[in-house]
Amino acid sequence: MQSKSIYKVPNGKLLKISLDYDEKHNSINKVKIMGDFFAYPEESIESMETELKSTILEKESLIKKINSIIKEYDIEFIGLHAEGLTEGILMCKK
Amino acid sequence: MKEQWRLLKTNFSTAFTNMAIDRAVLVTNSKGRVLPTVRFYGWEPPAISIGYFQSLEEEVDLDNCRKLGVDYVRRITGGGAVFHEEELTYSIVIPENHPQIPENILKSYGRICGAVMKGLDNLGIESKYIPINDIITGGKKISGNAQTRKSKTVLQHGTVLTDVDVDKMFSVLKVPNEKIKDKLIADVKQRVTSIKHVLGKEIRFGDVAKAMKIGFEQEFDVELVEEPLSEEEKELTRKFEKECFSARDWNHKR
Repeated sequence: MQSKSIYKVPNGKLLKISLDYDEKHNSINKVKIMGDFFAYPEESIESMETELKSTILEKESLIKKINSIIKEYDIEFIGLHAEGLTEGILMCKK
Repeated sequence: MKEQWRLLKTNFSTAFTNMAIDRAVLVTNSKGRVLPTVRFYGWEPPAISIGYFQSLEEEVDLDNCRKLGVDYVRRITGGGAVFHEEELTYSIVIPENHPQIPENILKSYGRICGAVMKGLDNLGIESKYIPINDIITGGKKISGNAQTRKSKTVLQHGTVLTDVDVDKMFSVLKVPNEKIKDKLIADVKQRVTSIKHVLGKEIRFGDVAKAMKIGFEQEFDVELVEEPLSEEEKELTRKFEKECFSARDWNHKR
Protein backbone atom coordinates (compact mmCIF):
# COMPACT_ATOMS: atom_id res chain seq x y z
CA MET A 1 0.00 0.00 0.00
CA GLN A 2 1.34 3.42 -0.95
CA SER A 3 0.44 6.66 0.73
CA LYS A 4 1.65 10.24 1.26
CA SER A 5 1.31 12.81 3.97
CA ILE A 6 2.09 16.48 4.48
CA TYR A 7 2.54 17.49 8.09
CA LYS A 8 3.49 20.88 9.54
CA VAL A 9 5.65 20.04 12.53
CA PRO A 10 4.59 22.24 15.48
CA ASN A 11 7.22 25.02 15.79
CA GLY A 12 9.02 23.30 12.95
CA LYS A 13 9.06 22.78 9.23
CA LEU A 14 6.84 21.16 6.60
CA LEU A 15 7.40 17.41 6.53
CA LYS A 16 6.39 15.34 3.50
CA ILE A 17 6.34 11.58 3.81
CA SER A 18 5.96 9.04 1.07
CA LEU A 19 5.26 5.60 2.52
CA ASP A 20 4.99 2.12 1.10
CA TYR A 21 3.71 -0.23 3.79
CA ASP A 22 2.68 -3.82 4.38
CA GLU A 23 -0.95 -3.79 5.47
CA LYS A 24 -0.94 -7.34 6.75
CA HIS A 25 2.04 -6.87 9.05
CA ASN A 26 1.40 -3.15 9.66
CA SER A 27 5.06 -2.44 8.88
CA ILE A 28 7.17 -0.18 6.67
CA ASN A 29 8.36 -1.44 3.29
CA LYS A 30 9.86 1.85 2.18
CA VAL A 31 9.74 5.41 3.46
CA LYS A 32 10.93 8.71 1.96
CA ILE A 33 11.40 11.60 4.38
CA MET A 34 11.18 14.92 2.56
CA GLY A 35 10.62 18.56 3.40
CA ASP A 36 12.24 21.89 4.21
CA PHE A 37 13.68 20.86 7.58
CA PHE A 38 17.40 20.58 8.44
CA ALA A 39 19.30 17.46 9.49
CA TYR A 40 23.01 17.13 10.29
CA PRO A 41 24.75 15.35 8.70
CA GLU A 42 22.39 15.57 5.71
CA GLU A 43 23.27 12.15 4.32
CA SER A 44 22.02 10.54 7.54
CA ILE A 45 18.45 10.91 6.25
CA GLU A 46 19.16 8.10 3.80
CA SER A 47 20.36 5.92 6.69
CA MET A 48 17.20 6.83 8.60
CA GLU A 49 15.05 5.75 5.64
CA THR A 50 16.91 2.45 5.24
CA GLU A 51 16.90 1.65 8.95
CA LEU A 52 13.16 2.30 9.24
CA LYS A 53 12.35 -0.61 6.92
CA SER A 54 10.24 -3.29 8.66
CA THR A 55 9.45 -1.02 11.63
CA ILE A 56 5.91 -1.54 12.96
CA LEU A 57 3.56 1.36 12.16
CA GLU A 58 2.66 2.12 15.72
CA LYS A 59 3.56 5.21 17.73
CA GLU A 60 5.71 3.67 20.47
CA SER A 61 7.79 1.42 18.23
CA LEU A 62 8.34 4.21 15.69
CA ILE A 63 9.52 6.75 18.27
CA LYS A 64 11.79 4.18 19.87
CA LYS A 65 13.29 3.14 16.53
CA ILE A 66 13.72 6.73 15.30
CA ASN A 67 15.42 7.75 18.56
CA SER A 68 17.79 4.81 18.36
CA ILE A 69 18.71 5.73 14.76
CA ILE A 70 19.24 9.37 15.79
CA LYS A 71 21.62 8.15 18.50
CA GLU A 72 23.43 5.63 16.31
CA TYR A 73 24.06 8.06 13.44
CA ASP A 74 24.48 11.10 15.70
CA ILE A 75 21.78 13.03 13.83
CA GLU A 76 20.77 16.55 14.77
CA PHE A 77 17.41 17.70 13.45
CA ILE A 78 16.37 21.35 13.28
CA GLY A 79 12.70 22.00 12.52
CA LEU A 80 11.92 18.31 12.98
CA HIS A 81 12.06 15.77 15.83
CA ALA A 82 11.32 12.10 16.48
CA GLU A 83 7.70 12.79 17.52
CA GLY A 84 7.05 14.91 14.42
CA LEU A 85 8.54 12.31 12.14
CA THR A 86 6.43 9.62 13.80
CA GLU A 87 3.29 11.69 13.38
CA GLY A 88 4.07 12.33 9.71
CA ILE A 89 4.61 8.64 9.02
CA LEU A 90 1.44 7.58 10.88
CA MET A 91 -0.61 10.23 9.03
CA CYS A 92 -0.01 8.21 5.86
CA LYS A 93 -2.28 5.53 7.33
CA LYS A 94 -5.19 7.85 8.13
CA MET B 1 45.41 44.61 13.32
CA LYS B 2 42.11 43.02 12.48
CA GLU B 3 41.83 39.40 11.39
CA GLN B 4 41.58 39.15 7.62
CA TRP B 5 39.06 36.99 5.80
CA ARG B 6 38.72 36.55 2.06
CA LEU B 7 36.05 38.42 0.12
CA LEU B 8 35.01 36.54 -2.99
CA LYS B 9 33.00 38.39 -5.61
CA THR B 10 31.91 35.97 -8.30
CA ASN B 11 29.04 38.09 -9.68
CA PHE B 12 26.45 36.25 -11.78
CA SER B 13 26.70 32.55 -12.63
CA THR B 14 24.44 29.61 -13.34
CA ALA B 15 22.83 27.71 -10.47
CA PHE B 16 25.22 24.79 -11.07
CA THR B 17 28.35 26.95 -10.93
CA ASN B 18 27.07 28.85 -7.92
CA MET B 19 26.46 25.74 -5.86
CA ALA B 20 29.72 24.18 -7.05
CA ILE B 21 31.75 27.22 -5.94
CA ASP B 22 30.22 27.14 -2.44
CA ARG B 23 31.08 23.45 -2.15
CA ALA B 24 34.60 23.97 -3.54
CA VAL B 25 35.32 26.66 -0.95
CA LEU B 26 33.94 24.38 1.77
CA VAL B 27 36.50 21.75 0.72
CA THR B 28 39.53 24.06 0.45
CA ASN B 29 38.72 25.84 3.71
CA SER B 30 38.26 22.53 5.54
CA LYS B 31 41.77 21.58 4.37
CA GLY B 32 43.12 24.85 5.73
CA ARG B 33 44.17 26.07 2.28
CA VAL B 34 42.10 29.27 2.16
CA LEU B 35 41.02 31.88 4.69
CA PRO B 36 37.48 32.01 6.05
CA THR B 37 35.52 33.31 3.07
CA VAL B 38 32.54 35.58 2.54
CA ARG B 39 31.17 35.42 -0.99
CA PHE B 40 28.56 37.53 -2.79
CA TYR B 41 26.88 36.34 -5.97
CA GLY B 42 23.86 36.38 -8.23
CA TRP B 43 22.04 33.97 -10.55
CA GLU B 44 21.98 34.07 -14.35
CA PRO B 45 19.75 32.65 -15.67
CA PRO B 46 17.23 32.80 -12.81
CA ALA B 47 16.96 29.49 -10.99
CA ILE B 48 15.22 27.53 -8.29
CA SER B 49 17.29 25.90 -5.60
CA ILE B 50 15.67 23.21 -3.50
CA GLY B 51 16.74 21.99 -0.07
CA TYR B 52 18.69 18.75 0.21
CA PHE B 53 15.69 16.85 1.61
CA GLN B 54 13.07 18.07 -0.83
CA SER B 55 11.57 16.18 -3.73
CA LEU B 56 12.44 17.98 -6.98
CA GLU B 57 9.30 16.97 -8.79
CA GLU B 58 7.03 17.80 -5.87
CA GLU B 59 8.48 21.28 -5.43
CA VAL B 60 9.32 22.41 -8.96
CA ASP B 61 7.23 22.75 -12.12
CA LEU B 62 9.90 21.43 -14.48
CA ASP B 63 7.91 22.14 -17.66
CA ASN B 64 7.40 25.78 -16.76
CA CYS B 65 11.06 26.08 -15.82
CA ARG B 66 12.02 24.94 -19.31
CA LYS B 67 9.51 27.30 -20.93
CA LEU B 68 10.68 30.30 -18.89
CA GLY B 69 14.40 29.48 -19.02
CA VAL B 70 14.66 28.93 -15.27
CA ASP B 71 17.32 26.45 -14.08
CA TYR B 72 16.91 24.23 -11.03
CA VAL B 73 19.42 22.71 -8.65
CA ARG B 74 19.45 20.68 -5.43
CA ARG B 75 21.52 22.30 -2.66
CA ILE B 76 23.78 20.48 -0.22
CA THR B 77 21.99 22.42 2.53
CA GLY B 78 18.54 21.67 3.93
CA GLY B 79 15.68 24.15 3.99
CA GLY B 80 13.11 25.11 1.39
CA ALA B 81 12.78 25.83 -2.29
CA VAL B 82 13.91 29.32 -3.33
CA PHE B 83 13.34 31.17 -6.59
CA HIS B 84 16.51 33.16 -7.25
CA GLU B 85 16.13 36.11 -9.56
CA GLU B 86 16.39 39.62 -8.15
CA GLU B 87 18.59 39.07 -5.14
CA LEU B 88 22.04 39.16 -3.66
CA THR B 89 23.16 35.78 -2.38
CA TYR B 90 25.91 35.47 0.22
CA SER B 91 27.83 32.52 1.49
CA ILE B 92 30.24 32.19 4.37
CA VAL B 93 32.67 29.32 4.85
CA ILE B 94 34.56 29.10 8.14
CA PRO B 95 35.95 26.40 10.45
CA GLU B 96 33.34 25.40 13.01
CA ASN B 97 35.84 25.89 15.85
CA HIS B 98 36.51 29.52 14.85
CA PRO B 99 35.99 31.65 17.99
CA GLN B 100 33.42 33.80 16.14
CA ILE B 101 31.19 30.81 15.36
CA PRO B 102 28.93 29.37 18.07
CA GLU B 103 29.25 25.60 18.39
CA ASN B 104 25.47 25.27 18.60
CA ILE B 105 24.07 25.15 15.07
CA LEU B 106 20.95 27.22 15.75
CA LYS B 107 23.01 29.87 17.57
CA SER B 108 25.40 30.03 14.64
CA TYR B 109 22.48 30.69 12.27
CA GLY B 110 21.58 33.67 14.44
CA ARG B 111 25.16 34.93 14.51
CA ILE B 112 25.64 34.78 10.74
CA CYS B 113 22.19 36.29 10.16
CA GLY B 114 23.43 39.09 12.43
CA ALA B 115 25.92 40.04 9.70
CA VAL B 116 23.14 40.15 7.08
CA MET B 117 21.05 42.30 9.43
CA LYS B 118 23.94 44.74 9.89
CA GLY B 119 24.24 44.84 6.11
CA LEU B 120 20.54 45.68 5.80
CA ASP B 121 20.97 48.29 8.52
CA ASN B 122 23.70 49.91 6.38
CA LEU B 123 21.04 50.32 3.69
CA GLY B 124 18.68 51.91 6.20
CA ILE B 125 16.57 48.78 6.76
CA GLU B 126 15.87 47.59 10.27
CA SER B 127 15.39 43.85 10.50
CA LYS B 128 14.96 41.00 12.91
CA TYR B 129 16.14 37.39 12.99
CA ILE B 130 13.35 34.83 13.28
CA PRO B 131 14.61 31.34 14.12
CA ILE B 132 15.23 28.99 12.46
CA ASN B 133 16.45 30.67 9.31
CA ASP B 134 14.57 33.83 8.36
CA ILE B 135 15.23 37.56 8.53
CA ILE B 136 12.20 39.83 8.47
CA THR B 137 11.58 43.54 8.14
CA GLY B 138 8.25 45.16 8.96
CA GLY B 139 6.91 41.67 9.65
CA LYS B 140 7.81 40.40 6.15
CA LYS B 141 10.55 38.04 5.07
CA ILE B 142 13.48 39.62 3.25
CA SER B 143 16.11 36.89 3.66
CA GLY B 144 16.21 33.10 3.93
CA ASN B 145 19.29 31.16 5.04
CA ALA B 146 20.57 27.59 5.13
CA GLN B 147 23.61 26.00 6.75
CA THR B 148 25.53 22.76 6.48
CA ARG B 149 28.56 21.52 8.35
CA LYS B 150 31.01 19.14 6.74
CA SER B 151 34.58 18.18 7.71
CA LYS B 152 34.33 20.47 10.76
CA THR B 153 33.58 23.44 8.50
CA VAL B 154 30.48 25.64 8.33
CA LEU B 155 28.88 26.70 5.05
CA GLN B 156 25.93 29.02 5.34
CA HIS B 157 24.35 30.64 2.32
CA GLY B 158 21.34 32.86 2.06
CA THR B 159 19.41 35.32 0.00
CA VAL B 160 18.76 39.02 0.37
CA LEU B 161 15.83 39.92 -1.84
CA THR B 162 16.37 43.04 -3.91
CA ASP B 163 13.03 42.64 -5.72
CA VAL B 164 10.42 39.92 -5.88
CA ASP B 165 7.89 38.70 -8.44
CA VAL B 166 5.61 36.35 -6.51
CA ASP B 167 3.48 35.48 -9.57
CA LYS B 168 6.54 34.37 -11.52
CA MET B 169 7.81 32.52 -8.47
CA PHE B 170 4.62 30.47 -8.30
CA SER B 171 4.68 29.74 -12.01
CA VAL B 172 7.82 27.67 -11.42
CA LEU B 173 7.20 26.40 -7.88
CA LYS B 174 4.51 23.84 -7.18
CA VAL B 175 2.03 24.22 -4.36
CA PRO B 176 0.71 21.30 -2.28
CA ASN B 177 -2.90 22.14 -3.11
CA GLU B 178 -3.80 23.67 -6.49
CA LYS B 179 -7.27 24.64 -5.22
CA ILE B 180 -5.84 27.16 -2.77
CA LYS B 181 -3.07 28.40 -5.06
CA ASP B 182 -4.57 31.89 -5.47
CA LYS B 183 -4.92 32.32 -1.74
CA LEU B 184 -1.39 31.05 -1.20
CA ILE B 185 0.00 33.55 -3.70
CA ALA B 186 -1.93 36.34 -1.98
CA ASP B 187 -0.53 35.18 1.39
CA VAL B 188 3.03 35.10 0.15
CA LYS B 189 2.66 38.60 -1.33
CA GLN B 190 1.70 39.71 2.19
CA ARG B 191 4.56 37.87 3.83
CA VAL B 192 7.54 38.57 1.54
CA THR B 193 9.25 41.86 0.79
CA SER B 194 12.43 43.19 -0.82
CA ILE B 195 14.94 46.00 -0.51
CA LYS B 196 13.33 47.78 -3.46
CA HIS B 197 9.92 47.60 -1.83
CA VAL B 198 11.11 48.76 1.59
CA LEU B 199 13.23 51.65 0.27
CA GLY B 200 10.82 52.55 -2.52
CA LYS B 201 13.61 52.70 -5.10
CA GLU B 202 15.79 50.47 -7.27
CA ILE B 203 19.09 49.49 -5.71
CA ARG B 204 22.13 48.18 -7.55
CA PHE B 205 23.54 44.73 -6.84
CA GLY B 206 26.97 46.27 -6.19
CA ASP B 207 25.56 48.65 -3.58
CA VAL B 208 23.88 45.81 -1.71
CA ALA B 209 27.16 43.85 -1.83
CA LYS B 210 29.04 46.87 -0.40
CA ALA B 211 26.57 47.25 2.46
CA MET B 212 26.73 43.51 3.18
CA LYS B 213 30.55 43.48 3.11
CA ILE B 214 30.58 46.15 5.80
CA GLY B 215 27.87 44.25 7.70
CA PHE B 216 30.01 41.10 7.84
CA GLU B 217 33.08 43.14 8.86
CA GLN B 218 31.10 44.78 11.67
CA GLU B 219 29.49 41.59 12.95
CA PHE B 220 32.70 39.55 13.03
CA ASP B 221 35.18 42.39 13.65
CA VAL B 222 37.31 41.40 10.65
CA GLU B 223 38.62 42.94 7.46
CA LEU B 224 37.39 41.39 4.22
CA VAL B 225 40.10 41.39 1.57
CA GLU B 226 39.08 40.70 -2.00
CA GLU B 227 40.83 37.71 -3.58
CA PRO B 228 39.88 35.41 -6.44
CA LEU B 229 39.18 31.67 -6.33
CA SER B 230 42.35 29.58 -6.09
CA GLU B 231 43.31 27.27 -8.97
CA GLU B 232 42.34 24.29 -6.81
CA GLU B 233 38.92 25.83 -6.18
CA LYS B 234 38.40 26.48 -9.89
CA GLU B 235 39.19 22.85 -10.61
CA LEU B 236 36.90 21.61 -7.82
CA THR B 237 34.16 23.90 -9.10
CA ARG B 238 34.31 22.33 -12.57
CA LYS B 239 34.32 18.86 -11.02
CA PHE B 240 31.35 19.47 -8.69
CA GLU B 241 29.41 21.25 -11.41
CA LYS B 242 29.78 18.35 -13.80
CA GLU B 243 29.58 15.41 -11.40
CA CYS B 244 27.01 16.78 -8.99
CA PHE B 245 25.02 19.96 -9.46
CA SER B 246 24.24 19.71 -13.17
CA ALA B 247 23.76 15.94 -12.99
CA ARG B 248 20.30 14.44 -13.25
CA ASP B 249 21.14 11.82 -10.58
CA TRP B 250 21.82 14.51 -8.01
CA ASN B 251 18.93 16.83 -8.81
CA HIS B 252 16.35 14.07 -9.11
CA LYS B 253 17.64 11.97 -6.24
CA ARG B 254 14.69 12.72 -3.96
